[in-house]
Amino acid sequence: MIILDNITRSFDGVRAVGNLSLNIARGEVFGLVGPNGAGKTTTIRIMTGLLRPDEGDVTIGDFSITREPVKAKSILGYVPDRAFLYEKLTAREFLKFIAALYGMERSVTPGKIEALAGTFGIGDIMDELIEGFSQGMRQRLLFAAALMHDPKVLLIDEPFMGLDPFGVRMLKDFIRDLSAGGVTVFLVTHSLHIAEELCHRVGFINKGALTAVMTSEEIGKSEGGLEGLFLSLGD
Amino acid sequence: MLRLLTLVRPKVLSLKNTLTRRVLLKRAPFIAAGIGFWMLLYLGTAKVLGFVREIPFLGEMLSAKLLSMTFFGLTGFLILSNVITALSSFYLSKDLPFLLTKPVEVRDILRLKALETCLNSSWMVISFVPPLFLAYGISYHAPAVYYLAVSLTFLLLVLLAAAIGICVAHILTRFFPARRIRIVILGAGMLLFLIFYFMTKSVIPQTAAAPEDLFRSLISFRTDAPFLPGYWITETLLPLLRGKAPDVFYLLLLLSNAAFFSLLSFSAGRSFFRGNIERLQPSGPGPGRGISGRAYPDRATAVLYKDVMVFFRDTGQWSQLSITGLLVLVYIYNFKTIPMDAMAGLTPLIKELMLLVNMLLAGLVLSAVAARFLYTAVSLEGEAFWIIRTAPVNISRFLWSKFLYGCAALTALIVLVVFFTNRAIGVTGPLMGISVGTTGLLCISVCGLGTGLGAIYPKFRYENIAAVSMSLGGMVFMLLAFLVVIVTLSLEAWAFFLWHAGPETEGKVLIGICTLLIAAINAAALLLPMKIGAKRLAEYSP
Repeated sequence: MIILDNITRSFDGVRAVGNLSLNIARGEVFGLVGPNGAGKTTTIRIMTGLLRPDEGDVTIGDFSITREPVKAKSILGYVPDRAFLYEKLTAREFLKFIAALYGMERSVTPGKIEALAGTFGIGDIMDELIEGFSQGMRQRLLFAAALMHDPKVLLIDEPFMGLDPFGVRMLKDFIRDLSAGGVTVFLVTHSLHIAEELCHRVGFINKGALTAVMTSEEIGKSEGGLEGLFLSLGD
Repeated sequence: MLRLLTLVRPKVLSLKNTLTRRVLLKRAPFIAAGIGFWMLLYLGTAKVLGFVREIPFLGEMLSAKLLSMTFFGLTGFLILSNVITALSSFYLSKDLPFLLTKPVEVRDILRLKALETCLNSSWMVISFVPPLFLAYGISYHAPAVYYLAVSLTFLLLVLLAAAIGICVAHILTRFFPARRIRIVILGAGMLLFLIFYFMTKSVIPQTAAAPEDLFRSLISFRTDAPFLPGYWITETLLPLLRGKAPDVFYLLLLLSNAAFFSLLSFSAGRSFFRGNIERLQPSGPGPGRGISGRAYPDRATAVLYKDVMVFFRDTGQWSQLSITGLLVLVYIYNFKTIPMDAMAGLTPLIKELMLLVNMLLAGLVLSAVAARFLYTAVSLEGEAFWIIRTAPVNISRFLWSKFLYGCAALTALIVLVVFFTNRAIGVTGPLMGISVGTTGLLCISVCGLGTGLGAIYPKFRYENIAAVSMSLGGMVFMLLAFLVVIVTLSLEAWAFFLWHAGPETEGKVLIGICTLLIAAINAAALLLPMKIGAKRLAEYSP
């Protein structure tokens, strides 16, 4: 469902990501972990089309993000690590706007908004301006927005930032349900215990290069789990 | 002092890190445009001064009056600009939580913010006035000490205006929340402008029979009351311009006032700043569902839906829209009260000349309004632009939609203004058609230029969207827009002159060339920036 084909990206001569290749199957939850500055966010930004790779390509479903960006983005949902939103819109207006951007049928939109607002626990604040939202509420709204158009691929950068324990629990269950429904989830995180709990496979990235990819079984068998592997691979 | 230097250091370093050779090269066209504007301002002032000083009996008085009016206007503008900037800087800026949680004395924060306010609100005036003073100096063959005196007095005026502005900002915030005050101040500025405008109108007689009457009325306009800083500066500079010794009393008056108000602003800051900061509250309850609750946009209207919602909830936006509306009303009123009889003696083609002046002024208003609303259209997305970039939206279509909605509204406004002002001066028939058609063409090209340049130089991180139109890119847009307006109208005026002279074959060819050039210039102004802008935005990484 997601193919990263030898992608490379440099900034002012400094290589942020180099020759990174990955193949992620439909319904798989894939986690990318690595130390600060390893190239995780650059990778996910290339996958969303926010950055263009210097070399290589990313395929989402059947579409190249560089050659057919509009088609690729139409089956993609993205939750960034920093929740910059339109502060002067209400949550409901924001979701309507998102629905329109993705070309959703008007008849479907109200029901979908209500359903997602209920799922993410923001039903009571749907008609309040986003500028008054807490970090956790913004994160919930971002998830609702990313899922409005029923994406086939969900890319998440630091998914649990600002969420309370109830939110974390709810989101973990939700990601599992999405995966079971055939949605491919790619997440970048520093929360190693959650990645270990959720992901079918975890990739380790350091200095822009993918150093290892391990399945959940392999991680489970290793001493110290994902944290132990992270520390040993980081050296 | 040492602590203040420490606080200023990150800002200086940020500036230094931004000014790389690559950035300077990238900004070379802006610098060139700025130099071009300087030259134009110098030449314009020198020409006006040359004309004015040759008027018998009144020339020298008029020249002094123009200098006095310049300082009068600059003082008002600087004080108002300082109040608005001080409100943002002292009470709304993003670094406040950082500074207030560090072991920094309040007095050092006050000094840092005062310095920021003074620089941010004055840099544009400081950048643009030198050609004006240079033209005065050269016209009067002034000695070197004039240039020294003009620099010193202007610096003191800048300090005085900043101190007064900061004082007012602290006191106002004591009684109103900062976000509301900015609107109050904009309203106050508008009121001041209207008072100034109607004062001007009241001294210019509508029934003047000769141009001399207009000049006499101008001289009688009181901009030089002894308690105004502009008067002190004029009284310091005029003797120097006329080769006499300066009156040091007025210089000392300016210096002592600058010092007094600086101390007063610092004292007001010590008294009010902490309390004001603590009283600042986050925004109130949401707007409810209302009419927007029933509206569901589609793909084509999604951006419009979002922009309209955001626009009408951002009080900074609509307050400026109302200012624009009032200015337009003043503009129309102005044309209705033009002393046509007094001006008829200047040239037999007075109606055609006034039509040209009307279109030129409308073009300038168009450029200014487009800078505020079209140039900022892309930047208005702010840091939420990632939403557009990651959505299945064609960036070119997104940009054209921004252009279309803004252009439709602005074209309707400007074309109507030109139509009614033309009628006010008695223009009808083919001239009216050509005038309205040209204005419509200029609206489209200037709006395209604004939207396109705004996409080429977007500024997604801002504290106040109005500041984006005042950025270097915004200034370049204004200059280019003026250029498009002036070149288009000059070509059209020339074509009209050729047609008026007689329909010779050579004249017809030249009229054809003028028409083609007008079409080419306006098409380029519309299409090139839009194309480059879409390409830049598609490559932009938020």
